[in-house]
Amino acid sequence: MNILVCVKQVPDDFVKVHLNSEGLPATEGIEKVVNAFDTYAVEMAVRLCEAHDGKVVVLTLGEEEAVRPSMVQMIAVGAKQAYIYKPSALGDETSTASGLAEAIKKCEAAEGITFDLIMCGKESTDEISSQVGAMLSEKMGLGFVSSVVGVEPVEDGLKVQQETEEGFAYYQVACPAVVTVTKPEYDPRYPTLKSKMAARKAVIPCDTVDVEAAAVICESYAEPAKREAGVKIQEKEAAEAVAKAMAILAEDKVL
Amino acid sequence: MKSLIYIEMKDGKPQNSSLEAISIAKKLGTGLAVVIGHQNNIMSTLISGYGVDVLQIENDVQNQDELIYVLENIVKENDVQTVMFGATQEGKDLAPRLAARLATGCVTDVIDMDMAADTLVVTRPAFGGTVLEKMKFADGKTAVVTTRGGSFPKPEAGEAGKITCMTMEVPADVVKTTLIDKTVEITEQVNLEGADIIVAGGRGCGSEETFALVKELADLLDGVVGASRPAIEAGWISRAHQVGQSGKNVAPKLYIACGISGAMQHISGMTGSDYIVAINKDEDAPIFDIADIGIVGKCEDMLPLLIEAIRSKRA
Repeated sequence: MNILVCVKQVPDDFVKVHLNSEGLPATEGIEKVVNAFDTYAVEMAVRLCEAHDGKVVVLTLGEEEAVRPSMVQMIAVGAKQAYIYKPSALGDETSTASGLAEAIKKCEAAEGITFDLIMCGKESTDEISSQVGAMLSEKMGLGFVSSVVGVEPVEDGLKVQQETEEGFAYYQVACPAVVTVTKPEYDPRYPTLKSKMAARKAVIPCDTVDVEAAAVICESYAEPAKREAGVKIQEKEAAEAVAKAMAILAEDKVL
Repeated sequence: MKSLIYIEMKDGKPQNSSLEAISIAKKLGTGLAVVIGHQNNIMSTLISGYGVDVLQIENDVQNQDELIYVLENIVKENDVQTVMFGATQEGKDLAPRLAARLATGCVTDVIDMDMAADTLVVTRPAFGGTVLEKMKFADGKTAVVTTRGGSFPKPEAGEAGKITCMTMEVPADVVKTTLIDKTVEITEQVNLEGADIIVAGGRGCGSEETFALVKELADLLDGVVGASRPAIEAGWISRAHQVGQSGKNVAPKLYIACGISGAMQHISGMTGSDYIVAINKDEDAPIFDIADIGIVGKCEDMLPLLIEAIRSKRA
């Protein structure tokens, strides 16, 4: 089974993003990492190929010097090949999905294979719009399942396990298909020193893709109204702290 | 402006975020609600009572591939400028796919919508809620959005709208994905969005025993139990209780956060609470920056005393 995973590099989501003096999100100084949901997708893909043969290829849209470290990292945890495509413009999710659709075609041509499964993370931790995978399936005219935690090859396609609010749903879908991946029961593997060293030497081809014009334009950014910190109670005795808290709760007519 | 609203149903009831979409649609102009299913006449009557027209699709469309086909055709046959879904799992699947079919874009998790000089401006949170984006759609593009639960009021009753029933032939070849099976792991109904009081626990509870105190306090206050992701991953409670980025967005009158440090993924889901009480042993925990009352201490020490104090106050 040949699997393509679409990967996005994002600012580390443990760091709070605020607006800079120009009113734009200040992400410059924040370390860039692979979107957590994409790392789950890569791990799922690598496990599938370990169990059923095949090849995991990753690709991303971006500038080579900016995104190469993320691609190297994915090779160190099991991807066999990576590709970088520079988009003709920055845009919205429509632009990204159209760029990915073209990148996948170019990638298949370069590899001389067709992919049986295309995976994306369920959402990216920066924009959190959870649109690109769904739009990509439409642009490619393929079946789509979101929030996937398990994939199993079956006779005429794939059996896909989706996490739902109440439990799980299982779908049958023909190959190729597009799925978005959420956190499964297992964690992504860590690279070894050896796999890291080898990945650093990887040849990662770079190309360009045209993207559709954005349908959604961000006009401006704002920060939500801040909440003021209230009273902090710090007492040696727990009983005293609780008594103080109860007094304030009564005064504020909360309880 | 006319908006099409997809009414998502669960166990025979409309989802709150679908109803809230009706209220913002009415504020922006007129609404056309789409109800799916032949047995849903009562639902259509209920929805039309909110003062919007209803289009009831008589086929029992279950599959999302079929739903997308139906919605695409409805949008093309009706003069609507906006299409709204609740920002639920289903809404987030349908909206971007429909947008792609309509050659437009999509904005998810919308928390505000307004007209500025004849242009629709929609606001959504990004970066875990520390940044708000104000977006507009390119000229001539249909605006497809999902509205985040709790962001808009419940619709008020209005003059009953017109109900139109129709069937739509769906070609068999649109179906690419087939549901084989469903399992239910979580049977409890957890109404976090509608709760007046939420008592939530996180990693700092440290043990299942301490998390049980969170449940006890919630019961005592007639509140609902919430949780941050680490508490769910520890197996102390089911993910139906999750508050935050990958869980529910809540706005109770009182939110008591026990052993929750305040990662922004959690804070973004509860910062709209009227009153926040936080208990945490780390005096620098970010949760204290937004708490009305911050108690520095261990949950296992504080919670039994707090429960006792509330009990005796009520006795």
